[in-house]
Amino acid sequence: MIHSFFVGKQLLYLDPGSGSFIIQMLLAGILGAGVAVRIYWKKIKKLFVKETDQKPVDETPAEDENGQK
Amino acid sequence: MDKNNNRLGASFRDPSGFIFKKDGQLYRQVNLIYRENYDLFHSSGLYKKLVRRQMLVSHVEVESNGEIPELCYKVIQPEKINFISYPYEWSFSQLKDAALLTLEIQKEALNAGMSLKDASAYNIQFSGARPVLIDTLSFEKYIEGSPWVAYRQFCQHFLAPLVLMSRTDIRLSQLLRVYIDGIPLELAVRVLPWSCRLNFGLLSHIYLHANAQQRYSDKQVQVNQQQGSMSRLAMQGLIENLESTIRNLTWSPAGTEWANYYDITNYSDNAFETKKGLVRDLINPLAPQSVWDLGANTGLFSRLALDVPGCFVLSADIDPAAVEMNYRECKRENETRLLPLVLDLTNPSPAIGWDNNERDSITQRGPADLVLALALIHHLAISNNVPLVDVARYLSSLGKKLIIEFVPKSDSQVQKLLASRLDIFPDYTPEGFVKAFSNYFEKKQEIPVSGTERILYLFERK
Repeated sequence: MIHSFFVGKQLLYLDPGSGSFIIQMLLAGILGAGVAVRIYWKKIKKLFVKETDQKPVDETPAEDENGQK
Repeated sequence: MDKNNNRLGASFRDPSGFIFKKDGQLYRQVNLIYRENYDLFHSSGLYKKLVRRQMLVSHVEVESNGEIPELCYKVIQPEKINFISYPYEWSFSQLKDAALLTLEIQKEALNAGMSLKDASAYNIQFSGARPVLIDTLSFEKYIEGSPWVAYRQFCQHFLAPLVLMSRTDIRLSQLLRVYIDGIPLELAVRVLPWSCRLNFGLLSHIYLHANAQQRYSDKQVQVNQQQGSMSRLAMQGLIENLESTIRNLTWSPAGTEWANYYDITNYSDNAFETKKGLVRDLINPLAPQSVWDLGANTGLFSRLALDVPGCFVLSADIDPAAVEMNYRECKRENETRLLPLVLDLTNPSPAIGWDNNERDSITQRGPADLVLALALIHHLAISNNVPLVDVARYLSSLGKKLIIEFVPKSDSQVQKLLASRLDIFPDYTPEGFVKAFSNYFEKKQEIPVSGTERILYLFERK
């Protein structure tokens, strides 16, 4: 028998495990904060780097619709 | 009429579609239920991106009503993989690379507004040294706020076995043979050294995860409530943390008995080069398209077969350290035609799973055009007491032709094996050997290896 249930419009066949959902939510706060700090740390660094040397900081090059960098 | 008889034994769990065989070709039926996701997969550019980065097998759409037409949306034909292998046959770095690929794919998917709905190690195959995803239907639309449904499977299929191999014992990958949906986390918790708790990633994804699983195992958690509870940032953090946890897992192949094999073998440099030349000269005229090198150690002789254009070589050995070194070499060389695998010939990969039909035995994945059995026979016949005629029969089931090296009792390696036991092997002589093998093979060539007492034979199965 295939066990399936819906998350919104999704059809999932895999049992994700209730515990596995709970633990993700518990960790979500810490993990999200970690990523946020990393992103904002880069922005803070940028401010300082701009002051000491005039070169603009390289951002990750955006990709066009063909996936070319 | 059995509608399921063309469907592959492992392809039944996912209602999105399934793999089937027709006229010797492999196809994937994409079911109507998966239509939206399939179209999004293409329109978002995710398919193109993954194929361009060589992370997913490409496919072509074919004109067909499908194997079960009333369910069918489309039929696609995926790119073929040279040789199917399973996670319990992989060395440490092969499993690690497969894990990192899965996470990288999830990152790309999220960028395109999609997410992996499963993270099974069986969805990854190796194209030479390169892991690649073979399950095109693994993707679903990402709904902001929802947790990763494949997280449990990822931790059991990839993280738990890797930590066990790295921090307890390399041989624990064999638990994957027993637990076909990955190693239960609470089992890993019992086996791992206490110090693993000091690592934030392991603490979270193994210990706390196992704890939560047990605590909530019989509780119904309303899935709908979970939407909006895990931001995209948190999802990103989860994937990145899993990635760094796995990257920091290492295993060094030094210290097993086979790792320095070629330094302590019975061969003088001259005799070694002679043997290489003889084996090369035996292989080339046969022009095989598939070669299985059994007891290959680090793949030194396997690589001789790569001289044959287009030839695929399976390089199998019982020692995970040798396979690991072989795989690292493959990566350095960007090797696409050689696959190192861990294999114990006295207890080779059996057919497992539902109806013992989900994962094929090693024999079912053959036969090869050519089998190499160099410096091997004495381990089977003497160390493991397998009668020569049974060795012959088994080898004839694995390949159509055989290059085998007979290692006589006078050889110092065999002397070591017989040092502490009774010599109960009266038929273990060149004559006895040829007689046993003649039951299943025709002898084509017999070449003594000068500088040693060993003899190379070329056999063709009857």
